[in-house]
Amino acid sequence: MPLVMVRSIVRPEKADEVLLALMNAGFPGATKLFVAGRGKQCGIKIGDVAYDELAKTMIMTVIPDTDKEVVVKTIVDAARTGDNGNYGDGKIFISSVGEMYTISSGAKESGARGDTL
Amino acid sequence: MKEVIAIIRVNMINKTKDALLAAGVPAFFANEVLGRGKGLGSGLPQDDKGPLEASLRLTENQMETGRLFAKRMVTVVVPDNKTDAVVSTIIAVNQTGNPGDGKVFVLDIDDSLRVRTGECGESAIC
Repeated sequence: MPLVMVRSIVRPEKADEVLLALMNAGFPGATKLFVAGRGKQCGIKIGDVAYDELAKTMIMTVIPDTDKEVVVKTIVDAARTGDNGNYGDGKIFISSVGEMYTISSGAKESGARGDTL
Repeated sequence: MKEVIAIIRVNMINKTKDALLAAGVPAFFANEVLGRGKGLGSGLPQDDKGPLEASLRLTENQMETGRLFAKRMVTVVVPDNKTDAVVSTIIAVNQTGNPGDGKVFVLDIDDSLRVRTGECGESAIC
């Protein structure tokens, strides 16, 4: 079963909610990185001060391909602000993972449906 | 080309660097990250692993999102023929047999480009 890596860039204050939502959806494995970036708004301008890079948090998780829709929906629901969302809520990128190994056992993970990775 | 992403223990970074160098892969980059797996931090039921883990588990169960542990993320881009060697080197060096040793992911890289010279493909990473 193919594996995919879901990299979501979310607001730092939403990271805990996303991690909690992923846990409740049955995807405990995740890695959190502190990053800085900008989107198509080119940062933000408050008064006379322009910030062209904003602090964000990247949450990286690897899941079976078949669980992709569930995970994306979980992240979007948790990370979106307000009813319709706002600029700066973030992006989700998905790329395929060829192989995955657990170091403690040295085993190659197959990624069967519903497998906890 | 493949991108090998390894999430490893913080104290294993120097050993991993030396082992990668010995395996002929001097170039890599590393990030400080936080993470959890399906082990202690996950809030999932664990096998009984002694008093230390039991007390850790008690604290974690009081935390909503589970505990995030400090980890190092090591990223290496290698030619296809070196992928297996790099993966087995990383596993051999980092394996203690306990939960928390980390994960290794292997992703495809379509192309790479050396900024200094502009050369593309495998010659850019060798």
